[in-house]
Amino acid sequence: MTRWKQSLPYMLMLTVALPLLSLAQEEPATKAETTTRQELEETRDALQGLSDSFAEYRGIVDVLRKIKISGYIQSQYRSTDLVSTPYAVGAFSGGAFPTNSKGLFQIRRGRLKVTYDNVLTQYVLQIDAIPTGVSLKDAYVAITEPWTKSFGFQMGVFDRPFGYEISYSSSSRETPERSRLFQTLFPGERGTGAKLFYAPQLGPLSMLRADVGVFNGSGPSALEFDNFKDLIGHVAYQIPFDDIGAALDIGVSGYLGSTRSSSRYIYEAGTIANGAPGYGVDSALTNVSRGMNRHYIGFDAQFYYDLPLLGGTILRGEYITGTQPGLAGSSTSISALPTTPIYSRKFTGWYAYLIQNIGQANQLVLKYDVYDPNTDVAASDFAASNTSGATGLSATDITVSTLGLGWIYHWDDNVKFVFYYEIVNNEKLTNLAGTSSSLSIYSDDVRDNVLTLRTQVKF
Amino acid sequence: MQNITRLFSLVLIFGVISVVAEVKITVKGSDTMVILAQRWAERYMAAKPDVTIQVTGGGSGTGISALINGTTDICNASRPMKPSERDKLKQRFGTRGVEIKTAQDGLSIYVHESNSVQELTIEQIRNIYAGRITSWKEVGGSNEKIILYGRENNSGTYVYFRDNVLLGEDYSATMQSLPGTAAVVNAVTKDKNGIGYGGAAYGKGIRELKVKADANATAYAPTVENIKNGDYPITRFLYLYVRNKPTGALKEYIDWILSDDGQSIVSQVGYFPIR
Repeated sequence: MTRWKQSLPYMLMLTVALPLLSLAQEEPATKAETTTRQELEETRDALQGLSDSFAEYRGIVDVLRKIKISGYIQSQYRSTDLVSTPYAVGAFSGGAFPTNSKGLFQIRRGRLKVTYDNVLTQYVLQIDAIPTGVSLKDAYVAITEPWTKSFGFQMGVFDRPFGYEISYSSSSRETPERSRLFQTLFPGERGTGAKLFYAPQLGPLSMLRADVGVFNGSGPSALEFDNFKDLIGHVAYQIPFDDIGAALDIGVSGYLGSTRSSSRYIYEAGTIANGAPGYGVDSALTNVSRGMNRHYIGFDAQFYYDLPLLGGTILRGEYITGTQPGLAGSSTSISALPTTPIYSRKFTGWYAYLIQNIGQANQLVLKYDVYDPNTDVAASDFAASNTSGATGLSATDITVSTLGLGWIYHWDDNVKFVFYYEIVNNEKLTNLAGTSSSLSIYSDDVRDNVLTLRTQVKF
Repeated sequence: MQNITRLFSLVLIFGVISVVAEVKITVKGSDTMVILAQRWAERYMAAKPDVTIQVTGGGSGTGISALINGTTDICNASRPMKPSERDKLKQRFGTRGVEIKTAQDGLSIYVHESNSVQELTIEQIRNIYAGRITSWKEVGGSNEKIILYGRENNSGTYVYFRDNVLLGEDYSATMQSLPGTAAVVNAVTKDKNGIGYGGAAYGKGIRELKVKADANATAYAPTVENIKNGDYPITRFLYLYVRNKPTGALKEYIDWILSDDGQSIVSQVGYFPIR
């Protein structure tokens, strides 16, 4: 009891002191809490502000991501063996050499491409800017239907859907130029028109692609000059052999078109007055405005094989045959209203590539291509007696083959160096050796090989 | 002649030394696989100090582009390569690429843990993400608007989900695209009306719905057993792609990934081994 009494004052003091103490402690704690809360709110506001800004910029970036800008520049040095030949040396090897020049630096291509890709709709514009001028390469709209996303429609200026080499980009192609065959039949590669395509992305049919279109037929930049439209189509199928690291792609193409004759005279393979091979002439008045057949059929195949320890091997080939309306001095497709008679020739041509990747950076290339512009005549048909006049044979009828040897070094994913040598061989017109014929130079192989050293930067 | 021989020997020795001393493997691609790829790399580098493996994400599409451009040795992808991507690889390197299946993954459908909906059919999920079902009430939930979260279009998960669940249809324009499955999970965690999709490895902290193939089928949760048995309807493989048939250090690394040791990491990260 005494002890209890002694403790009582202390207990009373504690009873009063403890709440006071807790009040005293509570005061600074509340301040800290308030400060922390304020800081948190400020941080939250700042984060909200950043989040709003991010959302705004994200919207802008999402739109900008649909716009893709790409391009490449190919600058090169080329040299050849001979100048002042009867025809333009190098015309099919990057452009004819100027008179008196056996070597030149040039900008072969300077491309700038803008694509707006909104998944199902595409806008594409590509220009080529080189010292000789700026030209339009692509300008088209492509729309894919939204239901199966397999069918689409494309309209404007774009690659004509024929074969493989046309649509294989110049920036990716292993040789500096396309085959003589394609440069002759499809100069500029592109055409103005519209096409439908079927390209399923899913399922077993994703290995199939089909394109069919209607084009003016006058090439990429020329205006239409007749009332004929050309139907062009290509169907391709891919067959993978993944178990052995190989794949085979095959395709078939067709071209059904016409070129208007402005003249009553039409020349086709036949015999001349002395019975020698040459051209026969049809001079019916109804030939004016007649549509001359431009019919091709083509087959293409690409084989890929992953060669152990070395790298991928590519074998690529294409064969085209048909009827080509040209002019007396050229079998190149006509791109403007002809003011001289049309020469209709049956032609054939093919090419084959062998490309061997060595590691990631190196590629070795071997290519052989042949273009026979007139299958009705052989080298032995050329003679002094049938190589003059409108019905006579000319340099246009000579078969030319080109063997190309190349090495490509990929410096990185943007830069590559190309070293390429083309051995151009013409048919040897032995009958004309020692004659005064203008074609006598072709009695042997013309010295028109071309070396190309190219640097390409792509972005 | 002696000088030439010496010079040649020096070049040869230098070349051999540099090849032996430095083995560097770059890996790029799927964000879904980035943690798995990092774990693989860490374990492998610990066992083989002479090998350096650099792993980065960016999405399956980014990884495949890097494979085509030659800027990565291995591409991680949570979807198969498209025919157009195979074409680009063929044109540049002459191969279709080598596809290696390394793991299986169940693609989970996430909702906020307070959401009363327990299961959905594939068709319902498709209609939700295509924007035809817009209220939770239409699938047995409360009368609240469904908020869609998904991945960005460079993601393999985005493409896989679109191709296999939406059957190629486009996502609704209202879907909010987020960079990485972790971001999707985070968004759904904070949004009681949200729905998202992603790999099982990221499914912690939110509720994963049961999914059934059709209205009459049994609903399955994305568990190990259900994914391995093939009962869970949204499963996919996780791939490695290389340009050529792998040799040397690359082959050793890929062989190790497919070994028991490598596959044990697949389980640790939350995916399902293929062996």
